[in-house]
Amino acid sequence: MIQQATNGAATAARPSPGDVIVETRNLSKVYRDFWGRSKKTALKPLDLDIRRGEIFGLLGPNGAGKTTTLKLLLGLIFPTSGEALVFGKPATDVSKNERIGYLPEESYLYKFLDAEETLDFYGRLFDMPPEERRRRSEALIEMVGLTRDRKRQLREYSKGMTRRIGVAQALINDPELVILDEPTSGLDPIGTREMKDLIIDLKSRGKTVIMCSHLLADVEDVCDRIAVLHLGELKELGRVEDLLRVTGVTQFRATGLSPAAVADIERVLEKHGAADVEVGNPRTTLEDLFLEVVRDTEARPGRRARRPETGRSE
Amino acid sequence: MVLEEEIPRFASWIGPAVLRYAATAGAAAVAAGLCAWLAQAVAYGPLASGDRVYRGILAGLADLALPSPRRVWALARLAIQESLRRNVLVALALFAVILTFAGWFLDPASVDPGRLYIGFILGATNFLVCMVALVLAAFSLPADVKSKAIQTVVTKPVRTSEIVLGRTLGFALVGTCLLALMAFAGWAFIVRSVSHVHALEDADVFASPQAGSEGRTSLVRGHRHRVVVDGSGNGVAETAHGHRHAVSVTGTAGDGGRRYAVGGPLGILEARRPLRGSLRFLDREGRPAAKGISVGNEWAYRQYIEGGTAGAAIWTFDGITPEEFPNGLPLEMIIRVFRTYIGRIEEGIHGTIQLRNPTTSLRSESLPIVAREHTIDSLFIPRRINTVLASGELREVDLFAELVSDGRVEVWLQCLEPAQYFGVAQADFYLRAGEGSFALNYAKSCLGIWFSMLVCTALGVMFSTFLSGPVALLATMAMLLVGQFREFIARLFTSQVTGDSSLVPGGGPIESLYRIVTQTSITLELDPTPAVQAMKTADTLLLAPLRLAAGLFPSLSTLGTSDFVAGGFDIPANLLAAHAAETLGYVAAFVVAGVFCLKAREVAS
Ligand SMILES: Nc1ncnc2c1ncn2[C@@H]1O[C@H](COP(=O)(O)OP(=O)(O)O)[C@@H](O)[C@H]1O
Ligand SMILES: [Mg+2]
Repeated sequence: MIQQATNGAATAARPSPGDVIVETRNLSKVYRDFWGRSKKTALKPLDLDIRRGEIFGLLGPNGAGKTTTLKLLLGLIFPTSGEALVFGKPATDVSKNERIGYLPEESYLYKFLDAEETLDFYGRLFDMPPEERRRRSEALIEMVGLTRDRKRQLREYSKGMTRRIGVAQALINDPELVILDEPTSGLDPIGTREMKDLIIDLKSRGKTVIMCSHLLADVEDVCDRIAVLHLGELKELGRVEDLLRVTGVTQFRATGLSPAAVADIERVLEKHGAADVEVGNPRTTLEDLFLEVVRDTEARPGRRARRPETGRSE
Repeated sequence: MVLEEEIPRFASWIGPAVLRYAATAGAAAVAAGLCAWLAQAVAYGPLASGDRVYRGILAGLADLALPSPRRVWALARLAIQESLRRNVLVALALFAVILTFAGWFLDPASVDPGRLYIGFILGATNFLVCMVALVLAAFSLPADVKSKAIQTVVTKPVRTSEIVLGRTLGFALVGTCLLALMAFAGWAFIVRSVSHVHALEDADVFASPQAGSEGRTSLVRGHRHRVVVDGSGNGVAETAHGHRHAVSVTGTAGDGGRRYAVGGPLGILEARRPLRGSLRFLDREGRPAAKGISVGNEWAYRQYIEGGTAGAAIWTFDGITPEEFPNGLPLEMIIRVFRTYIGRIEEGIHGTIQLRNPTTSLRSESLPIVAREHTIDSLFIPRRINTVLASGELREVDLFAELVSDGRVEVWLQCLEPAQYFGVAQADFYLRAGEGSFALNYAKSCLGIWFSMLVCTALGVMFSTFLSGPVALLATMAMLLVGQFREFIARLFTSQVTGDSSLVPGGGPIESLYRIVTQTSITLELDPTPAVQAMKTADTLLLAPLRLAAGLFPSLSTLGTSDFVAGGFDIPANLLAAHAAETLGYVAAFVVAGVFCLKAREVAS
């Protein structure tokens, strides 16, 4: 069976623009020191629209400005210029938090509380009545698999367990928008798998997810759309399959071919003038894209306008 | 007990106080707004900066409206859990250690053990509770920012005001529990420490030439009492070391001698309710004088009158009624003695007291008193009293009919011994109008400590919203220190500006340094050379911001009322109410300031 991945038409319908729930306009951030001197340009002016129901990934190497972007969306830091709107409200408006769940880079929780107390505490911050708090924390502890460790203080937790309670805490209010900063960091392969399944499950329940990661596989597996950031600059933006579609390169993948058959096919390709024929296991193409972005930036700094997203004016 | 100002009635105090508060808070808010605008203008230009500040103020005000009790309580609970984690209970252990040591080094044989123990216990409680509150409050939020736990909290629908209020409430509750436990332990300690009994043996009691018998008790805690027993077998061990004991005859022993029982100390843990008068002076020629004589060894609080002259201190008491004092006037006085020669040191200095009708000028005969240092002397002026007629004859009259007019009466104090002086202050002479409960008074003083603790907590939380823990602690302590000396700073500044060096001799910091270096006495006026003028101007400029701060900062010692309890005076309700209002004002101001500071801050950077 030969499966042609090239030119696979995008199947999902575009969400209508009315469904934009996160919007950044010219959003930029320069970190300043105590005296107001600029220390670090962490984010250059960024325009993004994130729509209801999608899983949006921010991808970029360490220090690319992913966390900075998320913090700006949450109002944890204030933009140097531009603005971020979440649910149509300014990012500094706390009432928007009613509908948001946030998992920080590392789970920043109170180490002297146990899992139950932690969820109860954050439930209180949502003004939830006791009954509802108990019900939700019960369900979430069960979901993240901490039932046996529910009475242990978080200081005794391993990194993976901390991550799990962090996720539970982010979902305590059944949020519409879930913001996850490096959700799989510190998780073992099984944990990573579970986390990805959870993200896809959130999407299937109609939630919007914004996540960031430097791990290509995470992003590739779960995200509908991604933005690639590098050194605070938006390099690529689009649907994952669009970004990974390498026009001018055709890739075949097949099983059950004998070496003779492979030689035959190669000959046929050569006859049709194909160049650079490569045979073997296909590489992670997102990794290619990623490395290309990095290489490209070194050669020509600035925004890559190579493949503008359909429907976006660039 | 030093009482520098009359305690105003709360009802008449609160109005102007609220106005002053509003004006000060308003000015501080405007100043803070301007500073914020200036700081932002550097980075964003004046217009954008104005916009940011305006929106910040609106957001801050919106934030302050109606916080959710559940969220505040959740954060307060967290603060309490955190305090317990940080071992606040160590403070209790420390208090226990202090009590143990106090039992050793406080001398129960001292002249006034009640004052000693009460002052010590309340002082230690105040210090510990405030320190704990300060440390908890100053380090908590910065620790959260550092551990980034704050990021998980502020991304919930939590308002900044709820964070600040929650912390303040949580630590205040911790402080309250600590205070309650320490207060109870301290109370038990005081009561146990002052209680003692004496033995009275029949062999020490002799028939007295006057009536009944008299004798002396055994020596306990460095003192004994003279005992007087009347014919019916009831007696009293007379006041020594600030207290009395009741004595009664309980029976007859086998050898025919009487057995006596001596009760516990009376009058040692008291809460007197004084009725105070206003004080004026006559100089040595008998002319009205604004002040007495300052003998220079004490600051202006106490004024002196010279013995053997016409110099007099005159208190006018108002609102004296026969209903309140049916038997006469129980006068109590603390008279300081300034001796120009030692004389007979154990004797005390003799003086007289006279009553005078302020309207008719009718005077009573002179009643002798002996002023002893460090004790409260008392003199009971009976209803029937002799007055001196113009002819020099004596006539017995009813006190209220002839000497009191419209509820007013004058009490004249004069010193009889030439070249000796009596030192008096307005608050030191009073009529003992009633008795409050000592336990209640102790509780009231603990309430004063509670106010201080609240101020410390709110202040610590406010500074911790924008400073790191140690810096916040330092800032809080600095602020409290300036507050502690606010009266002095105000006086010093006034003396700088008006040039009246009698207010604070020696001048400001630079001038003081100059005087120290050149070894110039502080009472010596410096020649007004241009250099000296420049120095004084520099001092004034240096002092101006301090003066401003002194007008704003809280003074914990003003909130403290342990002096009253230790001195045996009831804490007036008016004073307590004023302190409550002041505390509320400070706490509210610090919470609001904290909210704005935290809101303006990027908690995640
Ligand atoms: N508080 C801060 N002060 C100064 N520089 C910062 C701060 N936070 C992040 N940065 C810098 O901004 C850049 C982007 O950081 P970040 O958004 O955390 O990157 P990442 O994409 O790895 O999440 C990095 O170079 C980082 O060093
Ligand atoms: Mg990051």
